[in-house]
Amino acid sequence: MEPLTRVTPVAYAQQRLSPKMTVLNGMEVAIEFASAEIENKRKSTLGICDVSCFPRFGVKGLNAVQWLKEHKVEIPPQGNAWVQHKPDTLVLRLGLNEFLVEDQLNGKACEALHAANQPKAYGIYKVQRNDTALILSGSRVQALFSEVCALDLRDQALAPDAVVMTQMAGISVTLLRQQLNGETVYRLWCDGTYGPYIWDTLLEIAEELGGGAVGVSCHFKEML
Amino acid sequence: MSMRLPKQPGEWINRNKPVKFTYEGNTYLGFEGDIISSALWANNEQVLGRSFKYHRPRGVLSLANHDVNAMMTDGVDTNMRADVVEVRNGMQLTAVNTDGGVRKDKNSYIDKISKLLPVGFYYKAFHTPRSLFPFWENIIRKAAGLGVVNFHYPRILKRKLNTHCDLLVVGAGPSGLTAAIVAAHNGLEVTLVDENQQVGGSLTYDRAGSGEAATQLQELQTLLAKYPNITVISGAYAGGYYADHLIPIVGADGITKVRAKAVIVASGVFEQPPVFRYNDLPGVMLGSAAQRLIHRYSVKPFENGVVVTANSHGYRVALDLLQAGCKVAAIIDMRAAGEDSELAESVARKGVPVRKGCCVYEALSAPGNLGVRGVVVCAYNETTSEADAANVTTIECDGVAMSAGWAPAGALLYQAGTSMRYDEGVHQFVPARLPVGVFAAGKVNGVFDLEARMMDGARAVSDVLRHLGKQAPQIDVAPHSEASPSHPYPIVPHPAGKNFVDFDEDLQVKDFVNAAKEGFDNIELMKRFTTVGMGPSQGKHSNMNAIRILAKIRGLPVDRIGTTTARPFFHPTPIGHLGGRGFHPHRLTSIHGWHEAAGAVFVEGGAWLRPAYYDKPGVDKRDIVQDEAMAVRLSAGIIDAGTLGKIEVCGPDASQFLERFYTGSFASQKVGETRFALLLDESGVVVDDGVAARLEDEKFYVSTNTSNAAAVYREMQRWLQQWQLSVGLVNVTGSMGAMNLAGPNARDILAKLTPLDLSEKGFPSGHVRETKVAGVAARILRVGFVAELAYEIHVPAAEARHVWEAIIEAGKEDGLRPFGTDAQRLLRLEMGNHLVSHDTDGLTNPYEIGSDWAIKMGKPFFVGQRSLKIIARKPVTKRLVPFVLDEGYNGEMPQECNLVIDDANQIRGRATSVAFSRSVGRVIGFAYVDPDTATAGSVFRIRTDGGAMVNATVAKTPFIKTHKGN
Repeated sequence: MEPLTRVTPVAYAQQRLSPKMTVLNGMEVAIEFASAEIENKRKSTLGICDVSCFPRFGVKGLNAVQWLKEHKVEIPPQGNAWVQHKPDTLVLRLGLNEFLVEDQLNGKACEALHAANQPKAYGIYKVQRNDTALILSGSRVQALFSEVCALDLRDQALAPDAVVMTQMAGISVTLLRQQLNGETVYRLWCDGTYGPYIWDTLLEIAEELGGGAVGVSCHFKEML
Repeated sequence: MSMRLPKQPGEWINRNKPVKFTYEGNTYLGFEGDIISSALWANNEQVLGRSFKYHRPRGVLSLANHDVNAMMTDGVDTNMRADVVEVRNGMQLTAVNTDGGVRKDKNSYIDKISKLLPVGFYYKAFHTPRSLFPFWENIIRKAAGLGVVNFHYPRILKRKLNTHCDLLVVGAGPSGLTAAIVAAHNGLEVTLVDENQQVGGSLTYDRAGSGEAATQLQELQTLLAKYPNITVISGAYAGGYYADHLIPIVGADGITKVRAKAVIVASGVFEQPPVFRYNDLPGVMLGSAAQRLIHRYSVKPFENGVVVTANSHGYRVALDLLQAGCKVAAIIDMRAAGEDSELAESVARKGVPVRKGCCVYEALSAPGNLGVRGVVVCAYNETTSEADAANVTTIECDGVAMSAGWAPAGALLYQAGTSMRYDEGVHQFVPARLPVGVFAAGKVNGVFDLEARMMDGARAVSDVLRHLGKQAPQIDVAPHSEASPSHPYPIVPHPAGKNFVDFDEDLQVKDFVNAAKEGFDNIELMKRFTTVGMGPSQGKHSNMNAIRILAKIRGLPVDRIGTTTARPFFHPTPIGHLGGRGFHPHRLTSIHGWHEAAGAVFVEGGAWLRPAYYDKPGVDKRDIVQDEAMAVRLSAGIIDAGTLGKIEVCGPDASQFLERFYTGSFASQKVGETRFALLLDESGVVVDDGVAARLEDEKFYVSTNTSNAAAVYREMQRWLQQWQLSVGLVNVTGSMGAMNLAGPNARDILAKLTPLDLSEKGFPSGHVRETKVAGVAARILRVGFVAELAYEIHVPAAEARHVWEAIIEAGKEDGLRPFGTDAQRLLRLEMGNHLVSHDTDGLTNPYEIGSDWAIKMGKPFFVGQRSLKIIARKPVTKRLVPFVLDEGYNGEMPQECNLVIDDANQIRGRATSVAFSRSVGRVIGFAYVDPDTATAGSVFRIRTDGGAMVNATVAKTPFIKTHKGN
């Protein structure tokens, strides 16, 4: 049987843009929406990129910290914070005892965690995830945030290791700021079923501000 | 004749950019930067509108966003305030609220019969007979309102933005500017907002014939520009104060919601008109309005005017008028002592006669009330507030400037919870106790001297810095020691009336007297009865005088009268601004695209968009729904159930948790079994139902109704906090997809895709299995909600479409078709299953819907148990029963929510679900009825929308025949 190709949660919203697609981590994902020149311009103004295909692992419970430590996963010292585990994995501590681990393009941590036997001890619960995951980039990203979020997300207000769980455009999202290829970008996660909504909403504003959709290859040239 | 002045220092118009527009059919020229009123006034057009009630001609009053009688339409937009909206090339303006044009308004006759229309007239005149009210209502509705709403108004996006700062300064006058600059100098991030197009406040117009203010303004502007940490938002008003210093700033392009660590309200004051007969004629205006015309727009207010005043400001106005080339025929000073300052000397040096202790008894109107031809002046007794009408003199003039006092622009302060007191020194309400983080400065704080106002701005910043935990010097501002800037009672009685207090609603002094006589002598009651302050200006020029009048009527100090409540928004705000972009979050399952391609017509279910049915060209919707339902009955159907709430309850105490959370028993539930899960709230009301499937000893998979997932999960978390059980809750609503494959062929179809033993013995009803479907890990529940044989297949959301398409493909030969929520509702009704929130309401207890069987009262505890014990001791007052209508019934179809009526014509219940079932061949439904008529075979009556009484017979469920084990 052929391996199953999963569908990105924002597939429905993206189809009108007819992007060039590829399969990454078993999920069909938009690699390019326009020429590199256009996408680079969008990226520097306000680019929205779907990276829902990145592998994710969720775990919660009183013993989650211990369990992750046993599996050599670096974890943030307090809640609502994140660390970079190895070069290609983000570890978000969503609360005291809840974690989201996400591999970037070349990360392997999630695969290992999924493969690890979940002990029967109490206090460790795997959280199945179906996130819409986006990269937001560019000089106008704060203008976008200003319209969709009540929180102050400017550099001076958002600590470099902060994980913000807030509302954007009326839905719950998780947000952080990171450096990607030397550029400051924001990562956003939300429930996948809100994916088409958040994609359309953010894209509408981004286009008004001179930005637009960019494919995975815009941030990860090796995907080309 | 043009009233345009030569270039004035700091004028707001751009003479290099002329603007051409029409008003009431005539063409005019103005300049960029002109507001509509100034452009018309420059062209000597003084009739800018008609009043709301009496249709009296009106001109400029305040030029400060309160000229509610000068409202315009340009054919698209309406109720545009001419005193603040900038004129644009090509505008085609007409005044609103006229019939036949502003000069020849046919409704001006109402002014002549005004004696017949006192306040309260409408309340009393049309009260009886009730049968005639629709007739009067039609007339009143046509007469009410100002402009005509354009239902084709284009949707123009008005953004709602969020911004943050250390300090928000409301008002960019001398105090606000100083505050912003000092705060920025101290390193604070400042947002400075002002409703005017340019900063400066009174410095932009109140100059007393001198260039000093303009110079001071330039200096402040230069300083302002030096600080990049000051954000200036001009042409926008602070709309209201909300908790935690959230203040929406309303501008032409939208709303900016500013969240500040501290707020300085330096919003200034509104000039208040003295009240005398015909104080509303075009040409009679507030002194500050005359100054604005001169200095901002370079327009002469009139040629030969009179200044009526009760403070120093009137003298400043006179000097500005003189500087602009106007003749000032006289200053009428209502104060017996007159003015004792350099201003009086300056005026005297310029030969302006001053009449102390006098008032304008009335203004004399030009023909048609279209202007002023003079004023009648007489002595005024400040002690008795009476005019000596026996000895009057007439002064010819073509305009009157009025300066009698001020009212604080304190709406934000009131909304923030500021306690205000009436200060007899300035005859104004001033802050007595401010909320934490809110500060006041300048005139709104009762500080009037220019230098003192700037000092007060700096003082407020010191307070802010200390509030923010920083060091700051103590700055003391001396209280006002000069003559009061406001007159305590600038109101001149006149037996013929038309001495207007409220220009929005044409309220005269006698209206207040009459209201008090009728018992409406409390300020809030008087407001409602007279409607003072309820017009578009919201009392900005009228409330203070109304309070003074009421205080005099009752013989009380003003402080005892108090003020009316100030609510957000401070100023009328367009609905489009409030709506903003309009975020309507919705959730889609991962199969949504397939549904759309298959012709689904979607319906909202909570936040979800779900297929209601799959459209087929040429087939009526009702037939489609019946066809979809029949497929389930005769072959197979499949519905996307990914919208169901799905929660994993894990841990050693998982079953214990469910025992407490739901009404049923779960401790004894075996792995692989499912059980009905009924949820009550603490008052015993049914709030949700679902299925709890035991996957492992310490792991349950619980479903909830589509629209209740978030609420149930939240409740679970809340109770878990209290009970402190060893349980982990994982909400997988969004990460798990689901579909319900139902019908007699369901087993055969599913068997093609799974290795699971689907035989009745291998997988009986009421059980759950974990297996693979189409290669995807799946949880399958045997749930008989829509059909006796049905499989609820749960898979990871990202793979749900793959599974769905595989099932569709596998079912091609077995008559499988997708069905939507319309068919689902019919199918579950046929099965006799009620829907929580559809067949129940916010008061329904489980005994009323026959769910006694699902309640294990023997348990030590479950949510709602205590209430149920109390409820159980009382007789049930209604019961939900299944019913059928007579065979072949073809009368008016009862609708959901139609009432159940007994023989005595009393309401006994209501229908909650009604549908025709092709399978049953009859109309079936659920209804609440009297318990006496709840037994099978009992007949009750449902009253249709049309009034027909339809007999319904209590039936048994399921309505369709089932064969257990099929």
